[in-house]
Amino acid sequence: MTFGFILAQCLSALSQAAILFFIACGLTLIFGIMRIVNFAHGAIFMLGAYVGLTVLAVTGSFLLSLLLAPVAVGGIGMAFEWIFLRHLYGRREGGAYLLLTFGLAIVLSELIRVIWGPQPLASGIPDYLRGIVVILGQPFPLYRLFLIASGIAAAVAIWQFLERTRAGLLIRAVAQNAEMVHALGTDVALVRTGVFGLGCAMAALGGVLAAPLVTAFLGMGTNVVIDAFVIVIIGGMGSFAGSLIGSILVGFVQVLGAYYFQDLALAFMYFLMLIVLVIRPGGLLGKED
Amino acid sequence: MSGKAAGCALAVVACALLPFAIPQYSLSVLIEALIFGLLAMSLDLLVGYCRLYSFGHAAAYGLGAYAAALILTHLQLPLPIGIALAVLATTLVAIPIAWICTRSTGVSFAMLTLAFAQLGYAMLFRFRDITGGSDGITGIPRPPGPWGITWFQGKIGYYYLVLGCLIVSYLVCRAIVRSAFGAVLSAIRENEPKAVALGYDTRLYKITTVVLSYAFGALAGALYAAFAGFASPELFFWLVSGRALIMVVVGGAGTLIGPILGGVFFIFLEHELSQVTDLWPLVFGSIFMAFVMFAPEGIWGLLSSRFKPVPGIPSAGPSDETSDAAA
Repeated sequence: MTFGFILAQCLSALSQAAILFFIACGLTLIFGIMRIVNFAHGAIFMLGAYVGLTVLAVTGSFLLSLLLAPVAVGGIGMAFEWIFLRHLYGRREGGAYLLLTFGLAIVLSELIRVIWGPQPLASGIPDYLRGIVVILGQPFPLYRLFLIASGIAAAVAIWQFLERTRAGLLIRAVAQNAEMVHALGTDVALVRTGVFGLGCAMAALGGVLAAPLVTAFLGMGTNVVIDAFVIVIIGGMGSFAGSLIGSILVGFVQVLGAYYFQDLALAFMYFLMLIVLVIRPGGLLGKED
Repeated sequence: MSGKAAGCALAVVACALLPFAIPQYSLSVLIEALIFGLLAMSLDLLVGYCRLYSFGHAAAYGLGAYAAALILTHLQLPLPIGIALAVLATTLVAIPIAWICTRSTGVSFAMLTLAFAQLGYAMLFRFRDITGGSDGITGIPRPPGPWGITWFQGKIGYYYLVLGCLIVSYLVCRAIVRSAFGAVLSAIRENEPKAVALGYDTRLYKITTVVLSYAFGALAGALYAAFAGFASPELFFWLVSGRALIMVVVGGAGTLIGPILGGVFFIFLEHELSQVTDLWPLVFGSIFMAFVMFAPEGIWGLLSSRFKPVPGIPSAGPSDETSDAAA
């Protein structure tokens, strides 16, 4: 086993982590601001992949699908928040969100089956990202490097957005004390709608990026939403940095587990979550509540 | 009150006569519906009485089914004894699971239960030579006995076995939630810090309830395995957990009878709609969302509020009782 081989495996794990991060960061943002556990996040991710494929088929431009699919899906997310979730904010217990978004997950998956058909849809990697790069004597797909770069870019962009902009300031303020922000004259409902849309747009972006690797298939959403929940639980619900750390941990566990312990690959991720929760019930960076 | 008792008696008699009034095919659907009703009721102990949303109740169902499958196939024990042993085995496995899961509440609890169910799902493929991997276990017999009893081997007889298990389980669960133990559960649901302050070890109560819930869920799984004649990994899959949760909510959480109705309603709707259209999950998901939005008290809540002004969910009463008991 050479150093180059280990490096290639680490890069592979990081590219997996990048895709997971796109889903997990939206999930954790939505939870942090709204205390909503969005079970439909996997279906949103899947919707992003399918919409991206359609944009690609119509326009022939991968970059355009990276732009349009998140905008469209983010809009759908905002509409869902506006039509449904908004009316549940008065309920005392949070279980209703979990159940409602679970219903949305079923409805979205079925709508996708009706619109795009039950067969998996393959999408090619665009020509300029198709090559193989040789790193320390090991061949490595360029597209996976592109994924890592996108993941890093997204993490930095969201971090800067939350820390440096006025909208980011409002989002952090709402997460801490929504009533006070409301009393100071900010439309908190609008912030919530915006964050839900942003979270959905991130998941859709992840879906578009993941589609060339895995092909778009029904059920890609359910697989991924459980992974994303595991990540968010490991990192700590509502913690942005936690979702980044969780994505990387789970990405490594999935890729290395699949390579070295094929039979137990599925179980490893859950073991990781169990261990974290038994030691720190609130997650690595979460507050215990 | 006597009207209510008469209504219950009438419902039981109607269920007992039903096999002779409907075709053989519908009887299979009915048996499946009753089994799912039992599963939903077992989940209601957690959702309705402790407000612990388990997303992994498939673990109870799958463990019960696989335990029954292994016991019946390899040991050839009489069917009722095999099912009882399967329930016992699942109950023992549930104790450590309950201990870990009750460390957290809310979303973390939901995800921990989900993790255990998925872990079980993964283990089926790891220990292929015992569980049969993706093929599952097929050809599960229904061995006769004890004392040469064979009436449950036929379809109508099996229906009565399932109906009997459901009624007895319902009566036991009802007795539990109406006992002092159940009153403490309601107190935990309404205000856990207060229950702790009153001196109750709430964690112990929650662990006990999770284990009980697993036991009844395992009974449903064991009955299903012996009915269908096979146990497959799908029984452990999270969709089963999701379906059970939907049944509880649509039927009416915290009522026990509601989730049974929800389960029966769900299975029949599934069979009817899947014959008419392949869009039934879409219809079903929409119905579910409508219930969450507009009728969070579920079918039973709608029905019972039509007849009497007081909602069926005991909320204020039991928590008052506990404070009286402590004072």
